[in-house]
Amino acid sequence: MNTDITVIASLILKILILLGLGVYGVFALIIVRQEHLMAHVLEESFEPVLRLLVYIHLAAAVGIFFLALVIL
Amino acid sequence: MPTVYQKKSSVTVAPPIKHSTMGPLTSFAVNPQGIRFETQEREEAVILFLRQHIIVNLGWVFLTIVMFITPSVLFPLLVAALGVVTAVPAGYVVIGTLFWYLGTLGFIIAKFLGWYFNIYIVTNERVVDIDFHYLLYKQFSQAELNRIQDISYSSGGIFATFFNYGNVQIQTAGEMPNLEFDKVPYPERVVESIRNLTSESPSSP
Repeated sequence: MNTDITVIASLILKILILLGLGVYGVFALIIVRQEHLMAHVLEESFEPVLRLLVYIHLAAAVGIFFLALVIL
Repeated sequence: MPTVYQKKSSVTVAPPIKHSTMGPLTSFAVNPQGIRFETQEREEAVILFLRQHIIVNLGWVFLTIVMFITPSVLFPLLVAALGVVTAVPAGYVVIGTLFWYLGTLGFIIAKFLGWYFNIYIVTNERVVDIDFHYLLYKQFSQAELNRIQDISYSSGGIFATFFNYGNVQIQTAGEMPNLEFDKVPYPERVVESIRNLTSESPSSP
């Protein structure tokens, strides 16, 4: 009985974490989109660095989502 | 190369225009080179480029440092202080820690973008204020130089006095909204520059 509860609680926790990571992935996508819009407003030499940074952030968000899918 | 003006009896060499170099953390630049903004016309020249003073970022930078040391320093201290003994599976600890640092990176990016793209521009034709609120809302305001009626600035507080930044208020004629440059460096120089430009520009029709 205790084992069943532990398994269910673990499953719920895993789903909640994946859901959180999924929502965070959407946030990372919004940042990418917004950076594109902002870069259109102001063209400057530092902008490619910012673009690289937001793409690294998006890749990390996706990577952690799949890592959680595997190891949790 | 300096411009040469031919007069009747003598030749005058105009002083070369000083150009500020633009860096990623520039918050005050006179005649900057290498930037273009949305709706800028071909013959329109940027005279002043402004962002909020760099020191306004101090609050979130400090918070970021706290967020960075939290998993390795603050969490263990908190657990030890509360005397809680829990056996969290290693996978959850790894994902939790990575998620925390990812969130910290996202926080840094969002805050930096918010500062970096909130800009104020003075050109030889108009004054432009571009604001992004919470990454999602964009506001583009502008006023032609010949529509500017009054310009003033205010500065107050320890930080503003020490680092010399303040708010510049620009009142425009008619139905046009007034503009405010928030926490910009050297507000007195901004006011002086705009005043000089408005006095040079042709009066409103």
